[in-house]
Amino acid sequence: MSPVRRIAREEWRALSRDRVAMLGLLLLTVLTLVAALNAAEHRRTADAERGRYQSQANDEFANQPDRHPHRVAHFGHFVFRPLNPLAAFDPGIDAYTGHTLFLEAHRQNGANFGDVRQSSLLLRFGQLTPAFILQVLAPLLLVFVGHNCVTRERESGTLRVLLSQGLGSGQVVMGKLLALLGFAGLVLLPALLALLWLAASGQAAWAPVLVLACAYAAWLLLWSLLVTLASTVFRRGRDALLGLLATWTVLVILLPRGVSDLAGSVVAMPTRFENAIHVEREYQALGNAHRPDDPKFAEFRDRILEQYGVTSIEELPVNFKGLVGTEGERRSSELFNRYAAEVFDLQERQNHLVDQYGWLSPTLALRRLSMTVAGTDLASFRHFLEQGEQYRYDLVQRLNRLQSGEITYADDTDPDKENRISHAHWQAFPDFHYQPFPVDQALRRAAPAGAMLLAWLAALASLTWLLGGRLGRAVR
Amino acid sequence: MSWLIHELRLILRSRLSLCALLLLLALAAAAVGIGLHEVARQHQAIERVGPLQEQDAAAVAARYADTGDPGSHAYYTFYGTWDAPSDAAFLALGLRDVAPFVLRVRALGLQSQLYEGETFNPELALSGRFDFAFVLIYLAPLFVIALLHDLVSGERQSGRLRLLLSIADGGSLWRRRVALRYALLFACLAVPVVAGMLLSGASMAAMGVVLAVVASYLAFWCGLSLLVAARNWPTVANATALMGGWVLLTLVLPTLANVALTRAIPVHQGVDLMLAQRQAVHGAWEIPREDTMRRFYDSHPEWRHSAPLPDGFHWKWYLAFHQLGDESVADEVSAYRAGLQARQEWTARLGWLLPGVSAQALLHRVADTDLRAQLDYQDRIAGFHREIRQFYYPYLFEDRPIGARDFADRPVYEASPGPSGSVGLHALLALGLCWGIGLWGVLCAGRLGLR
Repeated sequence: MSPVRRIAREEWRALSRDRVAMLGLLLLTVLTLVAALNAAEHRRTADAERGRYQSQANDEFANQPDRHPHRVAHFGHFVFRPLNPLAAFDPGIDAYTGHTLFLEAHRQNGANFGDVRQSSLLLRFGQLTPAFILQVLAPLLLVFVGHNCVTRERESGTLRVLLSQGLGSGQVVMGKLLALLGFAGLVLLPALLALLWLAASGQAAWAPVLVLACAYAAWLLLWSLLVTLASTVFRRGRDALLGLLATWTVLVILLPRGVSDLAGSVVAMPTRFENAIHVEREYQALGNAHRPDDPKFAEFRDRILEQYGVTSIEELPVNFKGLVGTEGERRSSELFNRYAAEVFDLQERQNHLVDQYGWLSPTLALRRLSMTVAGTDLASFRHFLEQGEQYRYDLVQRLNRLQSGEITYADDTDPDKENRISHAHWQAFPDFHYQPFPVDQALRRAAPAGAMLLAWLAALASLTWLLGGRLGRAVR
Repeated sequence: MSWLIHELRLILRSRLSLCALLLLLALAAAAVGIGLHEVARQHQAIERVGPLQEQDAAAVAARYADTGDPGSHAYYTFYGTWDAPSDAAFLALGLRDVAPFVLRVRALGLQSQLYEGETFNPELALSGRFDFAFVLIYLAPLFVIALLHDLVSGERQSGRLRLLLSIADGGSLWRRRVALRYALLFACLAVPVVAGMLLSGASMAAMGVVLAVVASYLAFWCGLSLLVAARNWPTVANATALMGGWVLLTLVLPTLANVALTRAIPVHQGVDLMLAQRQAVHGAWEIPREDTMRRFYDSHPEWRHSAPLPDGFHWKWYLAFHQLGDESVADEVSAYRAGLQARQEWTARLGWLLPGVSAQALLHRVADTDLRAQLDYQDRIAGFHREIRQFYYPYLFEDRPIGARDFADRPVYEASPGPSGSVGLHALLALGLCWGIGLWGVLCAGRLGLR
């Protein structure tokens, strides 16, 4: 048996007798199981509820009576954001974003009814999910369990004995690291099983699941290295513990909040109120699409007349009111999308700023990677909103086409006529089907965060290697 | 007093203690600064939207001035409402970063306007704010632990314990040392907060509550540290036990409680009422207009004398069915709010068990940034919305044209000046339990080191 493995085995034996280690491991395992079951159950019920609401909204849309198509465009439609299967592992921003989007003509609404506004302040303490446990609690357990792995030998004088038997100090440190890694493996196991189960049961794809598994394994490896390193560097166990606890507090608790706050104040976000007024102003300048005689649509009218080779809108074979509606919707959607993109870009600038601090706190890098791969980050939410907008645009334009094709201009401008068209038309409308954020794109987006984690790993590994080798000199 | 100076010198000479105290002071000061900055930003935003909203209303008035048509004015004019941060809001920003503090409404159905969200970055909100509540509830206990975990074991491990106990009475020695550390930690937190509250002009009562929260929460953690120290474990075991307690009380148990709470009190009526209100409003186009008017007059007899509807479109019918739409979901609305309030109440009850939750709830109550503050704002919006409707109805139901001068008399949102939230007595009582732990710890201090 190699000396490294022998030292690891001895350390394992010590760990198994350590009450804190065993109690901590037991608690964390129970907690992970509770979190995994709860998160899976929450995802299942939330997704089922949203699915039920979606089919209710689909029914209500399809079961409208005969109506004027523009009435239908104002009746509008609801779409509900389905919950990504991997939200059962890392729900990310799900609780902080609305999941209900109301679609109507000439308006772009925000997603409403997020959990955060419907919860007491308890939600702000964090959510009990497997990701939270691995990100926040697991490193702490490794600190408690491993902070004295080398210092114990040093304080009791056994390190000197080991070294005098011809062991290299690097070998001692490697043995300790190996033992701690074994323990970290046990910590990771329940969450890993929950994750693999998501893939094996066919709910989630294998690629993101495996990437998440590797990322969290790297995360615990990183902390095992950090703990072993501290235990090598500090002379006394209590100093190593205090140093590691301070490091944990700064990296896991303090920096994520501080950096987020910083990003929020460096890149300020306009209120929805202000944006709505600016949009309204520009919208007025586009012309009123309800009025075919609006001068802002004169050029459009001339073009249409020329296209059909007629001299007045009354001679057109189609309903000009519907055409103006189509053109107005095109113009206003462009305007809305411009403003929406501005907001998204501001948000992305904020997130990019936070991401840069991943070099300072690997917690940020891991969180970015985890949320992105799980499909519960802002990009994935944006993906939903954009699909919702596309669906809204297609829906309204289809109704505008119905107005121009099914109703004559003479009827449509007669205030005494209701001009209802058959309800069979809306029954033929396609339902909203959310396409999840493509996995390969998500993986590509997560790559920089992965690189940061790897850089942290490489730096810590070489430091441990370097200082572990020098430990012998310090003792002698 | 010489013991005081002596002990003070001891603390200040220890690099760890001095660094810890200075760091806590810096963190608390930074949190207060960040909070004040954010509150100022919100005040600025509110000041910015006021004139902007006026311009928007003026543009609507100019567009429809010559028509004198009250319906177009009612349909197109938005009204600004705002929820200015309280003087103590900087302490705990709470829901103010995810819920709108400025919202515009118009005379149409309120229920489709009231739940409008705010544009915020959910990833930043997920991390939470770096405010004073965070420093107190999460970080302050860590500093208590750092200063107190080796109170006795440190002396024992350095070999001074026997000597110390032989020249002084153990109980009073430890009590003095803990009291001094407690006072220093309290000062590090209290000085920035008091400065911030004086700057923002918060009331003395609010300041009293906040200081009571800080004092009680610290007392709890000092008491717990003494109780652990009384076990006479080595330093590392003390630190492990205390950190374990901190993780349980601030990270694990609140999240577990949140799981239990969201499961026990599901709140999905929000979506239900939105769907129901839409059906009610748009259904009005399918039924005889006279039926709608009859239903409206039944609940609003003051407009019964209004002339019968003409053949074509009439705005009074349009606004009437919007109001009926709101009224038809009144039950759903109260069920939704009851669910939210139940969540809030159970959180407060949880404060009896978890001091962190209790301190969090109290700070957010004083700051007026919790769920209740949000519901209060919604109530104020609803009240103002009623005024807007009342303003237009005489013109609509009596077929009076609306002139420029009439329009200038339209209601203006008057924010009720909220200095800071009022705190219930029972919430303070829950804090009293913290003192129970604190006193217990002090009582145990006599036994410290005697084994």
